[in-house]
Amino acid sequence: MQIESHERDDLLLRRSAKGDDSAFAELYRRHQGVLFRFAVRMTGSSWAAEEIVQDVFMTLVREPKKYDPSRGTLGAFLYGVARNRIMKHLERTPRDFSLDEASEAGREGHPQLREHMTPARWAELRERREQVRAAVLELPPEFRETVVLCELEEMSYDQAACALDCPIGTIRSRLHRGRALLLAKLEMLREVPKRANASRG
Amino acid sequence: MTCEEFATAGLDLGSAAHELPFEKAAREHLRECAHCAALQENWLRLREDLRALGAATAGAETPGRVEMRLRQEFLTKHRTMKFERSGMILGWSLAAAATLALAVTGANWYAQRNAKIAKAPTKVAKTSPEPGASAPDHGAVLLASNGSGDFALLPDSMPMPSEDTTVVRVEMQRAALGALGLTVNEEHAGDWIQVDLLVGDDGLPQAVRLSQASGESGN
Repeated sequence: MQIESHERDDLLLRRSAKGDDSAFAELYRRHQGVLFRFAVRMTGSSWAAEEIVQDVFMTLVREPKKYDPSRGTLGAFLYGVARNRIMKHLERTPRDFSLDEASEAGREGHPQLREHMTPARWAELRERREQVRAAVLELPPEFRETVVLCELEEMSYDQAACALDCPIGTIRSRLHRGRALLLAKLEMLREVPKRANASRG
Repeated sequence: MTCEEFATAGLDLGSAAHELPFEKAAREHLRECAHCAALQENWLRLREDLRALGAATAGAETPGRVEMRLRQEFLTKHRTMKFERSGMILGWSLAAAATLALAVTGANWYAQRNAKIAKAPTKVAKTSPEPGASAPDHGAVLLASNGSGDFALLPDSMPMPSEDTTVVRVEMQRAALGALGLTVNEEHAGDWIQVDLLVGDDGLPQAVRLSQASGESGN
């Protein structure tokens, strides 16, 4: 069966619920990317993100009637399901975070060594990025998800409020707290090597 | 603007999130407050790092194996559902077909039996229920045409193939029906009636039918 690129999600879901494989595949392709990136950025693990995305779509396969079009878009519904799975995952896994694991998870996230870049500059960039990643992953989940949506995914406050199903004021205040925590965390992370170097000198 | 106000909402300077008077006040505060200026600078650097981190993972997609697993699960679920649905439809269809076949067979058997009864010769005998009365006078048997009414099976008798039965028309008092196991209205027990008896090859009556004339008088 032909799938129109603009065909609405709820229509595709209805077709999928009747057993149309291509409609389900189209839905999956439309939404898997954002959900996977959100999950990777929230958990810091591509394995966990893979499992979470699989769980989210499994819900859609097994219980398509759980989605009620009158309550919002399918995208927002899937975000909600993914969020629940992520929170469960974060509850299960220990809070402390290893940089090695993060590197494994986001290997493609390392800066590319370009011609104009010295190896020292490349190493510095890479270290900074790791510090930022670690600081984001150490944020409490409610601040982390706001920072991930508004800063990493560059969503507007409106879009973030819609995805997280909360008022826009909550997004603003969480973002403010998240930024403050990130700044403090990064300052701390950058101070430690400086102090270590000073004591060695 | 105070430092607290700036820290709460002023970091986003230049974004569409603020109105013009707020932006103006925030920029003025930045020029005057070195602490907030440093904070703003740190935040801009952090935002750049965050954007770079976001851009680095912007192309991340779920591995292809997940789609394969999901589609497999999808097909399995829907195949099972289809199988269950067609099984149910098949079951109901078979039940309906069996019922229909049974009904048609029953109707055919009934029609055949009636046709045979209609063809069979009808005999009329006279009988009396009074004690000491002689048995039905088979010598005075008369051929008679078959009535249009249906035979009622007598209690404790089994239907027999119609080729083994004979229809005998008898005249008797209504009370004699009691001897055949039928209930009789005592007020009319003495009335003479004409009945058709379906007699098996063993000589025993199996079914009874009131002939039209006596049927009208009631039992």
